[in-house]
Amino acid sequence: MAVALTKRRFTVDEYHRMAEVGILTKTDRVELIDGEIVEMTPVGSRHASVVKRLNALLTGRLGARAIVSVQDPIRLSKESEPQCDVVLLRPTPDFYAGSHPEPVDTLLLIEVADTSLQYDRGVKVPRYATARVIEVWIVDLAGDAVEVYRTPVPDGYRDVVRVPRGGSLSPVAFADLTLGVDEILGPR
Amino acid sequence: MAIALTKRRFTVDEYHRMAEAGILRDDDRVELIDGEIVEMTSIGFQHARCVIYLTEVFVRRLEGRAVVSPQGPLAIAGATQFQPDLVLLRPPLVRLPSPADALLVVEAADTSLERDRGVKLPRYAGAGVPEVWIVDFAGEAVEVYRVPSSDGYRNVVRVPRGGSLSPVAFPDLALGVDEILGPRQA
Repeated sequence: MAVALTKRRFTVDEYHRMAEVGILTKTDRVELIDGEIVEMTPVGSRHASVVKRLNALLTGRLGARAIVSVQDPIRLSKESEPQCDVVLLRPTPDFYAGSHPEPVDTLLLIEVADTSLQYDRGVKVPRYATARVIEVWIVDLAGDAVEVYRTPVPDGYRDVVRVPRGGSLSPVAFADLTLGVDEILGPR
Repeated sequence: MAIALTKRRFTVDEYHRMAEAGILRDDDRVELIDGEIVEMTSIGFQHARCVIYLTEVFVRRLEGRAVVSPQGPLAIAGATQFQPDLVLLRPPLVRLPSPADALLVVEAADTSLERDRGVKLPRYAGAGVPEVWIVDFAGEAVEVYRVPSSDGYRNVVRVPRGGSLSPVAFPDLALGVDEILGPRQA
């Protein structure tokens, strides 16, 4: 059907109301992208293990220097609230009890991509750039590499690097922290 | 960008709860189509005049025989609820109108012709709405769709200016296409 329909888009506040009144429930694995409520791809065991590995590595090495947020929402804008695999957040005493973290709180955002690589690259990364998230890593499980996106400009990142196995990388916010790509990906 | 996103679709029930919870408000002109909440096109003068005219004629001529619902809801399926421009309903009105209650649906199509024909018509047919009129202002005609089936309406007639038509349910009520379309636009 080639008829263009204009979707009613929702704000983050409306999206939260849907959860409060039970329209969206715990069984909904969704995120809000440009006002549209989008289903997330199911998480495979390899994806889940890399998320756990990153959580362990980052929590162990950074301690109280950052809050490690796992598969929680980030309030990107009035109309986007994606759920990100792993995020390093600026520490706050209340652990973001009052409201979800925003781009300004985000020190590093990591997406682990198995089936979701095109979506992460094509949909999420440009929106992270627009919202001025300073650094994004995409862990490409199929490609055995980590893509690093830095220096956000309005429609993307100016500085993109792909680091294969054998390489290592450090977040801009924590230059003293070095992670090996093999450590992140785990054994082949 | 050619990346397919799977949208979270909503049921008619969830859609109603959005209105109850104030997520959808009075100023939202929307319909639910296959679980997606879609904005309706805005209403111009010709469109408004047509709906007002038909409402008046039907109310006067069908008193006691049909309930006239201008721009009210019609639940089509579990995840589709339309707001047709006008529906004639079997009286009495005791629940949210569904296709079983509908005698005639009229869509006034000024800017919405492709959407009415391509998106809404197949769903009206699939739901068993017995008759649909699409008022085509640009084409200066009324399209009449009858005998619904799962793959569309079997019986389609296009009546131009000068012609007249009657709903299947009310053969005694004849309406002129000129009166339905209103005066020619300059």
